[in-house]
Amino acid sequence: MAAVHGDAHDHGHDDHHPSGIMRWITTTNHKDIGTMYLWFSFTMFMVGGILAMGIRAELYQPGIQILEPELFNQFTTLHGLIMVFGAIMPAFVGFANWQVPMMIGAPDMAFARMNNWSFWLLPVAASLLVVSFFVPGGAAAGGWTFYPPLSVQGGLGVDMMIFAVHILGASSIMGSINIITTILNMRAPGMTLMKMPLFVWTWLITAYLLVLVMPVLAGVVTMLLTDRHFGTSFFNAAGGGDPVLFQHIFWFFGHPEVYIMILPAFGIVSEIIPTFSRKPLFGYSSMVYATASIAILSCFVWAHHMFTAGMPTVGQLFFMYATMLIAVPTGVKVFNWTATMWRGSMTFETPMLFSIGFIFLFVIGGLSGVICAIVPIDIQVQDTYYVIAHFHYVLVSGALFALFAGVYYWIPKWTGRMYNETLGKWHFWLSMFFFNLTFFVQHFLGLAGMPRRVPDYALQFADFNKISSLGAFGFGLTQLLFLYIVINCIRSGEKSTQMPWEGATTLEWTHLPAKAPYHSFETPPVVK
Amino acid sequence: MNKIDNQQKKATVIQIAKAVLAAFMGIRKKSDHEFDAETLTPIQVVIGGLIGGALFVISVLLLVNLIVS
Repeated sequence: MAAVHGDAHDHGHDDHHPSGIMRWITTTNHKDIGTMYLWFSFTMFMVGGILAMGIRAELYQPGIQILEPELFNQFTTLHGLIMVFGAIMPAFVGFANWQVPMMIGAPDMAFARMNNWSFWLLPVAASLLVVSFFVPGGAAAGGWTFYPPLSVQGGLGVDMMIFAVHILGASSIMGSINIITTILNMRAPGMTLMKMPLFVWTWLITAYLLVLVMPVLAGVVTMLLTDRHFGTSFFNAAGGGDPVLFQHIFWFFGHPEVYIMILPAFGIVSEIIPTFSRKPLFGYSSMVYATASIAILSCFVWAHHMFTAGMPTVGQLFFMYATMLIAVPTGVKVFNWTATMWRGSMTFETPMLFSIGFIFLFVIGGLSGVICAIVPIDIQVQDTYYVIAHFHYVLVSGALFALFAGVYYWIPKWTGRMYNETLGKWHFWLSMFFFNLTFFVQHFLGLAGMPRRVPDYALQFADFNKISSLGAFGFGLTQLLFLYIVINCIRSGEKSTQMPWEGATTLEWTHLPAKAPYHSFETPPVVK
Repeated sequence: MNKIDNQQKKATVIQIAKAVLAAFMGIRKKSDHEFDAETLTPIQVVIGGLIGGALFVISVLLLVNLIVS
């Protein structure tokens, strides 16, 4: 988007780096740390995916087959926690680490050592979550939202989860401070805020949201901890507390968290669609304003998650209206992406396919979100599979599809090699087919009244559950194809060029060689 | 390095309000946006955004109370 001058420099002399395991443990290089974030998040995606396979295997037919109800509840809880905090969020931070410095012409992140620490906290937290399956009483089983009283009553696994959330929160806050400082202080000369690529803008706003709400999450889990071990009664009605207070505080974190997981996805898609439409992004400034708007409004809508928890009519209407209004800036974005493609010279390489898939399916998820925002409907579908279908359309075909799009788009720059386009397209179409097979039918299950978080169900739900489980197994297997494509690309992909995508205009494409060197932009480029 | 070039122009309260309102809608004309970028300071935008957020909450509350009454 920003016009730049100057040729790509010879970065060969900048490509030396430490080797062996210590390279990864002690690294302060944003590219190394980005790589570690991405591999970590993919590993956790696999772990969370295995839990999902367990859940869908149990739900393949009515009755208890392979998971006892207690273990099933642990699977659903840890599936949610691991996917949200271990897979999606770190993956976006991995993208930020790789891309933000390169896209703004900075040599590295502002706080390089803190960056290392932000990453290395993650495996500790992940280990706590995974190991909690093997402690007496098993893992936390009260759902990923860990509402009291269940989370007050649970065993050691809940404490491990609380500690893991603390650590993950600290990591996120440090990562966010790093990203904010990098963007505000380290942009190349001439790159004003309104010349920044949209991915950078979305991450700047996301980072502010993270700094705002992660301490709230840390606070609420600390209150839970003191309720469990130190005799307080924040959430215990018998001691003068209120369990609904937990829900309010949790969702004051939880709803902005939804946007934390989707705004960087908007950013990735906003880079890819102009590239493959060979047109500048339509309404760039509107997109920036819409992102800011979504972030602000996301702080006023939290109680739509708890319409059935007991709320005055005034409160219900307030949160219903506020929630429906947030669809306006989101709609602006969808219109802008569509207008960018309109009369563009479009091609459909894998990143573009995933981006278009993202728009198509995210709109379905957004629409079911507006439906859930309507109080009388929400009271009917609360805690049913309709809600499961809704948020998987937003988080899987929204956030995850955008992540896949981003990996295919930038992997030539990360590795200097091209992925296999044919296999990439197979990955997209199989993901598209199996995703919808898994989750579209869950709308019907929810509307028919099937509750979430149950290992067994009434016979009338059997057919749709079988279809959903088959889809889930297919979707899970398809992601092994993604792993193969990435490994194949790194090991033996065809050599890429500096500009494998002719429509790309951001600094990493225009100024850096085919494989981004280990140290880039030690001398900042000048942006005009 | 990223200081706004034109420090002389000062934004009026109405201009700040318009920019914040545009942010809430998510729609802004390019020419208006360029004018914003020249005249608005980050502090003005933050304060405007906070006031705008408060006004948004108050107006939705007023609407809800009107309907309920």
